[in-house]
Amino acid sequence: MPAPLNNNRAMFLRILWRLLFAHRGRLFVILLALGAGASITAALLNLQVDAKRRLTTEFRALGANVIIAPHASGESTATPRFLDDSVLKKVLEGQNSGAIAGAEFLYGVVDVGKRPNLANERSAKSAKAILVGYLHSGARPEQVVPAALLDVERKLFRPTLQPCEVGQKVAAALRLQSGDGVALASGSREVSCHPFVLSPIGGQEDSQVFMELPPAQALLDQPGRISLIQLSVPGTPPEIQSYIFDLRGKFPEADVRPIRQFTEGEAKIYNRISGVLTATVLVVLVLTSLCVMAAMTNVAMERRNDVGLMKAIGGASRRVLRLFLMEAALLGLAGGLLGAAAGIGLSIWLGKAVFGLAARPRLIVYPVAVALTILVSIAGAFPLRRLVSIRPASVFRGEA
Amino acid sequence: MFIRLVADSFTRRPRRKLLTTAALALGMAVATAALSVSLDVGDRLSREFRSLGANLVVTPQADSLPLEIGGVDYRPVNSGAYLPEADLGKLKTIFWRNNIVAFAPILEVRGEALPFARVDGNYQFANWITKVPLIGTWAYNAIPLPDGGEFQTGIAKTNPWWQIEGRWFSDDAKECVVGVAFAQKNHIKIGDSISLATGYVTKIPAPLEVTGILTSGGPEDRSIVVPLSRAQSLAGQRRQYRKLYVSALTKPEDDFGRRDPKTMKPDELERWSCSPYVSSIAYSIQQVLPGSDVRVIRRVAEGEGAILTKVRALLWLVTLAALLAAALAVGASSAASVIERRTEIGLMKALGASSGTVGLLLAAEQLLLAFVGGGIGYSLGIFLARVVGEKILGAAPEPSFLVLLVILCLAAGVTLLGSAIPLRRASRYEPAPILRGE
Repeated sequence: MPAPLNNNRAMFLRILWRLLFAHRGRLFVILLALGAGASITAALLNLQVDAKRRLTTEFRALGANVIIAPHASGESTATPRFLDDSVLKKVLEGQNSGAIAGAEFLYGVVDVGKRPNLANERSAKSAKAILVGYLHSGARPEQVVPAALLDVERKLFRPTLQPCEVGQKVAAALRLQSGDGVALASGSREVSCHPFVLSPIGGQEDSQVFMELPPAQALLDQPGRISLIQLSVPGTPPEIQSYIFDLRGKFPEADVRPIRQFTEGEAKIYNRISGVLTATVLVVLVLTSLCVMAAMTNVAMERRNDVGLMKAIGGASRRVLRLFLMEAALLGLAGGLLGAAAGIGLSIWLGKAVFGLAARPRLIVYPVAVALTILVSIAGAFPLRRLVSIRPASVFRGEA
Repeated sequence: MFIRLVADSFTRRPRRKLLTTAALALGMAVATAALSVSLDVGDRLSREFRSLGANLVVTPQADSLPLEIGGVDYRPVNSGAYLPEADLGKLKTIFWRNNIVAFAPILEVRGEALPFARVDGNYQFANWITKVPLIGTWAYNAIPLPDGGEFQTGIAKTNPWWQIEGRWFSDDAKECVVGVAFAQKNHIKIGDSISLATGYVTKIPAPLEVTGILTSGGPEDRSIVVPLSRAQSLAGQRRQYRKLYVSALTKPEDDFGRRDPKTMKPDELERWSCSPYVSSIAYSIQQVLPGSDVRVIRRVAEGEGAILTKVRALLWLVTLAALLAAALAVGASSAASVIERRTEIGLMKALGASSGTVGLLLAAEQLLLAFVGGGIGYSLGIFLARVVGEKILGAAPEPSFLVLLVILCLAAGVTLLGSAIPLRRASRYEPAPILRGE
């Protein structure tokens, strides 16, 4: 019998339509509750994945976490050993994204002397200090070279003399004043340079003199050689470990090791932070969905009279129930679609606010949030089932 | 009559009221849990960051320039200046004493080492190893404080990433710890002994027992770590040290914290020295250790500041989002409960109640709900925050009165706001059509 069935379906849809739109204030209130739940779900899920990845990059604010040094085996520790200066280039070429920052350093002891007013006569004031020749990668140099050094580099106006950056303690030992020149001597070789005093760094750097790598190599008579490479490798602790193993395979002549101070601490702190984040997000999600569910039950119980009426005029219990569950599902769908979209927008904004970079929207989050909202909405309407089993008369008497 | 009406509305349909309360309590529990965690997490995390090690280093002001490459100091032993060990207790007397988590003095000296292993009761001597870097420090030392009491500190606390196989030496025993690279190269095991000497050796000094192998990932791997007193007698510098690492809990530096204290006005200087910025802690350390030069290890301090600021902002935003969602859901729930009672409102108005009286009645009901629901939600949220805190940070956040206040205000505000809009619309209607069901 197709005709009555058609009729039935048309009636079903008509009742559904009336249920949804008869009272616009109520519709708005329900969509608000469901939409709020959906948007927080979508925003937190999206942010959670993204924030953890971002945090590993944030940790690079601590600077280099991997060093490549010559093997120390065999000879006495007192003789310095060297690496070839092509190693850094090979390391940086091996990666695809430019995410790894690196710098190479050459160390040597030199005599530092002051030359007042850049005149030619040598002043009596001189001291022994470490000369550091350095060269850094173009990407994110602030992670491998002290920021104070880069500040000077940025300010540099092509001087006629070779520039060199002087650590604060060295400058204090020499009583360096502005306009003074500096002479560096190693053996019989000597270089004059135009000094820039670095702001305090707090490490050994304060008692060192810095210079670009090629002139330092020439002065120390170590052409093509470096003492150390520092790398800043982003990623989770296991990712960094596996990268170190890769490098060890690639450069058997060098000693590749993590800077334990930072890799260990970082692993610990990262685990704590991501734990707090996951737990907070989980608690918030569970409670929010329970809260929305309670709100939905509150709204659905209002349909008590409608259920009683429909049963009184001969509606079958299952059909009546189906009608209301259908209503709840449609509301969940609408609230979910709107709310999840708003939530993804929210997470993009949050990502921008915290990390300065928009969180990449993950498409999987959208259907998950919508499905969750529909589920919560149906679960919220489910207590209506209890009403189906009671007699219509008692509903009208206001007993249920 | 007013009270009776309110009470009646609760007793007549307890189940409906229960549902509204549940929605409210859950929403407020979200808010409480998120608020408590993010209020607390900053302090906890800044303690976690101490696993990165010291953020301050103290050196003698008059020191000559260190000539250090790869952990080897190329200076002659007798050059440079030293600081007295006796002053160290004063570190715990400064204004920020509770922020100082640990400190460890260091005295480095290069010496000769003669390792020997005991095989079947006989000593097997190897050859003298020259120019071995010896690091003198405290492992776990209890130092007496000027106000009585003791403070346990040492390198194991300032450098927690130093991994020891075996155990640390005790600071007053004839024991030492050997770097892993040095141990491998010279075939030294735990339980062996090493004699240490400096300068011209006339007789073999009493040996130190190796109690552990150290892996630091740094130049210490190629050296021997000995108790500070031992290094002092080897260097001939009684009760002196050369470098002090201090690990302190700090507040991330902002623009104000980075200013030079010399350029500040007196009231600014007071505010600056009353905030635990790393530079203001450095300043107060410098004042109790005469002749010292205190520097901030920029790499650790700034990295820590940057990450902490980000994480805090992230958690605050999550909290804000949670508050917003909870408020919306609770508001919607109370709006629904008012909409549903339009018939009742119509009836009351038909019986002669003014809009104001009806509004007051409903507001009183909602407020009662808000306080009950808010209170339940607060305890639930505190419980959840405690679980999260204990599981992950190892310490539960303190329940805060401020949070309770915020939660109750939020609950009251949200329920009132949620019911205000439908109430206003209802008050504008004539009672007759509502009673007819239109």
